[in-house]
Amino acid sequence: MGIQQFKLQVSLRLGIALYFFASISCCKHASTINEVGSCTSNLDDSNPSSSALHGVNEFITEAYFEKHASLIDSDFQGFLSKEIPLEFCEVLQDKLEPVPKLSISHRHLIGEGSHRRLSSSIRLEIQPGSKFTLPAHFCDAIVVEILPSGVFADPFELQHLLQRGVFTGAAVFGDTNLELPSVRSNRSIVEIHMDIGPNVLSGNNNGLEINIEVPLHARYAPLGEHEFSRVEFSPPDLFTRCSFEGKSHKQSCIFLSTNKSLELKAGAVVWDVPCGIKEHTGIVSVVTFFSAIVSALLIVFTAFHYSDTTGCNNLKQM
Amino acid sequence: MATISFRSLMLFSAVLRLFLIIYGEWQDIHMEVRYTDVDYFVFSDAASLVALGKSPYKRSTYRYSPLIAFLLIPNALIHRTWGKILFSVSDLLVGYFIRTILKLRGVPENLCTYSVMLWLLNPFTFTIGTRGNCEPIVCAMVLWIIICLMNGNLLHAAFWYGLVVHLRIYPIIYAFPIILTLDQSRFQSGKKPILTDWSSSKIQSTNGSGSIKVSDPCHIWVSLKSLFTRGRLLFGLISAAVFFFCTGFFFYLYAWEFLHEALLYHLTRTDPRHNFSIYFYHIYLHYEHEFALSEKLISFLPQVTVQLVLIWRFAQDLPFCFFLQTLAFVAFNKVITAQYFVWFFCLLPLVLPWTNMKLKWEGWACILFWIGAQSHWLMWGYLLEFNGKNVFMQLWMASLLFLAANTYVMVTFILRHTSSPVFKRLEHGHSNIPTKID
Repeated sequence: MGIQQFKLQVSLRLGIALYFFASISCCKHASTINEVGSCTSNLDDSNPSSSALHGVNEFITEAYFEKHASLIDSDFQGFLSKEIPLEFCEVLQDKLEPVPKLSISHRHLIGEGSHRRLSSSIRLEIQPGSKFTLPAHFCDAIVVEILPSGVFADPFELQHLLQRGVFTGAAVFGDTNLELPSVRSNRSIVEIHMDIGPNVLSGNNNGLEINIEVPLHARYAPLGEHEFSRVEFSPPDLFTRCSFEGKSHKQSCIFLSTNKSLELKAGAVVWDVPCGIKEHTGIVSVVTFFSAIVSALLIVFTAFHYSDTTGCNNLKQM
Repeated sequence: MATISFRSLMLFSAVLRLFLIIYGEWQDIHMEVRYTDVDYFVFSDAASLVALGKSPYKRSTYRYSPLIAFLLIPNALIHRTWGKILFSVSDLLVGYFIRTILKLRGVPENLCTYSVMLWLLNPFTFTIGTRGNCEPIVCAMVLWIIICLMNGNLLHAAFWYGLVVHLRIYPIIYAFPIILTLDQSRFQSGKKPILTDWSSSKIQSTNGSGSIKVSDPCHIWVSLKSLFTRGRLLFGLISAAVFFFCTGFFFYLYAWEFLHEALLYHLTRTDPRHNFSIYFYHIYLHYEHEFALSEKLISFLPQVTVQLVLIWRFAQDLPFCFFLQTLAFVAFNKVITAQYFVWFFCLLPLVLPWTNMKLKWEGWACILFWIGAQSHWLMWGYLLEFNGKNVFMQLWMASLLFLAANTYVMVTFILRHTSSPVFKRLEHGHSNIPTKID
């Protein structure tokens, strides 16, 4: 047994030393490879604060957070209305603009408990008289969800969906901390890109409907007098982005397509999250500490009692 | 009952784990609920970052030593199941080490095999490694430290101890019992210690609880001096050096991010989200304002008191002391997650050969009470998290019941344990102080 253990010790030490040497070498080699290509990696770009998970898409919201530290509704709406080049498209300049419109036909939360999916049915409408010859193009629906306080999206979960091809792009901006309760966290924005097919502006795609389900999770709500804390979702901002093959280069055009008054008529989506009740504070604290002390005393007493009785038993044996 | 050879048991366990790893890959691809633990994705992502020359702490919620990410670099370079294979091999190693420790103490073969089966065939433990949790590595290291001490390899024990505390902070609770075990009358550097045989400890328990008493108060100063033996100093210095070297090296690489995420976070962690701890609801209800110093002290006192008493009473019976300490540490902690149970599951087989507890009905009472309390908690947890019911009060009461179950298990084990210090007193002891060691 002694020789076997010695051999095991030597093997273990040798194996561990070789392993780390190999790992460090691989690490150096891998960082060199990355300059010309990429290692196999589970993340395209692991910046958790912005958590952009995509192929090569650009995200509308990213530009906002490059200039602002946190999400303020008025600032963000101002950003959307003034800083995004909407409805200007060189390719379409001398033609009647098709201006595709996206609208929400149905919106609700699926599931129960702390983990649900925000489901939105989005309808594509193209203005009449817009069916004329356009260069080849691909279009994406872009959904920008401003999440209310108390709800968050998991960037890594979105990555999993991205890998399964559910979205063509997904990103979370703002507070992406998955663990903090509402009182210690800030709001965030989820931007989802969905492919709505090729040449939608030229073909008969009026009335196309797409469904988007965004997995969301509830944070621990602020304490309240009642059992539940209500979280309300505002309607999302919808965009269509089409990439055209130009004569010399590719061009993207972005169209804003939201009519928020329609969404308000449909009724806000609400999520009732269970919350701690302030009234419980006193009794919970007292009983918690009392239980810990009683359990500790029981163990301490037993340990002392064990020692004493063992001593007595030894005396009996003598 | 037909005896199972240890080799067959290991082979079966290895095949089972391999099957589960392959099945886990299939489930992850084909089903919405994944088999793989979410922590494994955290490790893998961190390993990918390290492979690209970046900090593993760019991956949010990675709160481990960079060593784990280093170990899993092949996940990014070879195949994503590398880590699971590594953890499962560690899992099997734990089984091997359990047998080694028991054989060193002369435990009969069939008892050894049953004890090892408790680890290798426990559904909780074999899913831990195959789902991608790194705890089996820590368990293997803790058991290896015990083996090193039993073989008199103080330097190796110190090295691995420093490393395991760097990897996972909780083994710091074993520092005092190890130091106390290195008593010069029982353990001398360079000499293989004499181990207390299982059969002799069952017949006669003259060594009592293993607690340390100073019979003559006038010699307290001499007793205190005897604490600083060569072996103890060596162990302390080497393990501290290894710990600080690892910490310093990774601080050099990753700076404050490493220090905060891998060490400080765990020391100050208070999680308001529901978990098995009795403190979770108290923390949630007070999260909006800072805790008073008195509140922090009160929550700390039961833990510290229990740890000190257990060390003082059972230090010489090292595996038993480790087991009780770990169980108590988990039970009184401010945050308890299911993976912490593995920390004492790996030590349970080491104490079973010395218990007088019969399976019928004391053993069954412990098992059913503990599993029942846990299942009860899980039921309320499910209603809260997946059904959205406000059951905070019920869930908190379930955590109180779980603490009661843990306490019951500890008390029962203490009362039914046959004390057996690991090391026998050496024939020509160097101790010349009238310190009575039981």
